[in-house]
Amino acid sequence: MFTVTGNTETSTTTSYRVVLPFYLYAAVAFFVATILLLLSATSITEHYFHPHALAITHIMALGWGTMIILGAGHQLVPVLIEGKLYSNKLAYTSFVLAAIGIPLLVYGFYLFNMGWPAKWGGRLIFLAIIAYLINLAVSITKSRHRNVHAIFVLTATIWLLATATVGLMLVYNFNYHFMPASSVEFLPLHAHVGIIGWFLLLIIGVGSRLIPMFLISKYNNPRRLWSIYALINGGLLAFVFIFLYTSSRSLLLFPLSFVAIAIVLFGNYCYKSYQQRIRKKVDEQMKVSLLSVLMMLLPVIFVIVIVALLIMSSAENIQLVIAYGFIIFFGWVTAIILGMTFKTLPFIVWNKVYHQLAGRGGSPNPKDLFNNRIFQCMAISYILGFILFTAGIFLGYEYVRQVAAALLVCTSLLYNVNVIKLLMHKPVFV
Amino acid sequence: MNIINNSNIKSTVALAVLQNVVDPEIGLNVVDLGLIYQIDFDEIGKKIFCMMTLTTQFCPMGESVTDAAKATLKSAFPGYDPTIELTFNPSWNHEMISKEGREFLNER
Repeated sequence: MFTVTGNTETSTTTSYRVVLPFYLYAAVAFFVATILLLLSATSITEHYFHPHALAITHIMALGWGTMIILGAGHQLVPVLIEGKLYSNKLAYTSFVLAAIGIPLLVYGFYLFNMGWPAKWGGRLIFLAIIAYLINLAVSITKSRHRNVHAIFVLTATIWLLATATVGLMLVYNFNYHFMPASSVEFLPLHAHVGIIGWFLLLIIGVGSRLIPMFLISKYNNPRRLWSIYALINGGLLAFVFIFLYTSSRSLLLFPLSFVAIAIVLFGNYCYKSYQQRIRKKVDEQMKVSLLSVLMMLLPVIFVIVIVALLIMSSAENIQLVIAYGFIIFFGWVTAIILGMTFKTLPFIVWNKVYHQLAGRGGSPNPKDLFNNRIFQCMAISYILGFILFTAGIFLGYEYVRQVAAALLVCTSLLYNVNVIKLLMHKPVFV
Repeated sequence: MNIINNSNIKSTVALAVLQNVVDPEIGLNVVDLGLIYQIDFDEIGKKIFCMMTLTTQFCPMGESVTDAAKATLKSAFPGYDPTIELTFNPSWNHEMISKEGREFLNER
C-alpha cells in the first residue's frame, strides 16, 4: 500500500481557440503548396534557387510545418513542462503575424520580387517567432518541472529565430549587398539551421514524448535524449563555424556524422518504445508517424552523397540537392504531420465538444471524429506521390512529376476533408 | 490494485460505476488504468471523497476525465456530494494498470 498525498493543482489546458486556427491555416497552406508543386512540376527541377522552388519550400516550411508545430506546441507545452501556457494573447499575436507574413513572403519569392512583400513578410514572421519564444520561455520559467523535452523545444525555437534572422538578412542582401557573398551562397546556412536546428530538434523533442505516450510504452531514457541533444546542437554549431570560417568541404563530414548518429540514436529510441509498448495494436496514425522516423534516414543518405560529390568533384549535383529538399519537406516533415495531426487534433476537438458533457456516457472516442478510410486513402496517395515525385526528379520525366504532384494534391485534399470534418464536429451520442 | 476505502460495499459499487469512465485515448476505464487511489464515504455529511491521478499532469484530457468521474459518482449515489481530488504523488506508472487492463490492451 502506498501513501497518497493530495494537492489542489488542476489540469488546465490551452484553449482550443488558440490552437485550432494554426491547424486550419496549416491545412490550407499544405493544399496551396501541392497546387504550386503541380503548377511548377516542370520548372522546379531547374535549380533549387528557382523562384517557384523557393516559394514552395517556404510555404511548406513555414505555412505547413511551422504553423502546425506552433499550434500543436501551444497545446503540448503544458504537457511537456507540466505547467500552464503563459499567455493566450501572445499565442494569438504569433498566429496573426505569421498568418499575414507567410503569404507575403511566398508571394515575393514566387515572383522573385524582393521588395516590400518579401521584406514585410520576413519582418512579420520574425516578430511572430519572437512572440512564440517569449511565451515559451516564460511558460518554462514559471513551471516547476523542467525536462529534456521542454529544453529541446526551447532550443529549437531559438534556432528558428536564428533561421529567420539569417533569412531576413538574405532578403535584404538582394538589395543592399552588405553580406560578404551573394544570398545563394549563404542559402545552405539558412536552410540547415532551419532544418536541423528547428525541425529536427523540435520533432525529436516532441516525438520522444508523444511516440511512447501514444504507444503506451514503458520505455523512457532521458540520458539518451540528452546525448541526442548534445550531438545535434554540437553538430549544428560546428557546421555554422565551418561554413563561416573555413572553405574546407571535408570538415563538413564532422557535423554531418554528429547529426547522423543523433538520428540513428533517435530511431533506436523509437524502436525500443515500440518494443516495450503495452498496447499491442498500433493504429494507422502511429504507423505513418513511425514511417516518418524511418524517413529521417533518407536526407542523411542524400546529404552524405552530396558532400562526398562536393569533396571529390567540387561540383553540386542540382538534381540531388532538389531531391534532398523535397524528401525533407514533402517526406519526413509531411509524414510526421500527417500522422500526428490525427493523434492530436481529435483530442482538442473532443475536449471542445464533449468536455461539458462529461459523464453523460455514449460519447464517441476521439479517433471516431474523423474518417479513417479517408485517412488510409490519404496515406496511400501520399506514399505513391512522394515516391513517384522523387523518382521523377532523378529520371527527369516531367509527366511522372506531374502525376506525382497530382497525387500529392489528392493527399492534401483528403487531409483537408478530414481536418474540416473534425473542426465541424457536432456532439453525437451512441 | 491498492485502492484505499472506508466503506467496502459502497466503495465496491463506486469502483464498479467508475469503470464506465474511460480514458478517451487509451480506451481503458480509469479503475483498470490505475488512476483511482482512494475512495471514501462520509455517511454523516453525505459526501464521497475520491482521490485520483492522471497518466500525466496537465494531460489535455484531464479535466474531461475528472469531470466524468464526478458526474458518474453523483449519478450513481443520489444525495451524496462527490469531491474529486487530483494527486501526482505518487505519479502514475504502467505498473498501476490492472491485470484485466493489461489483457484488454494486449487484445487491442
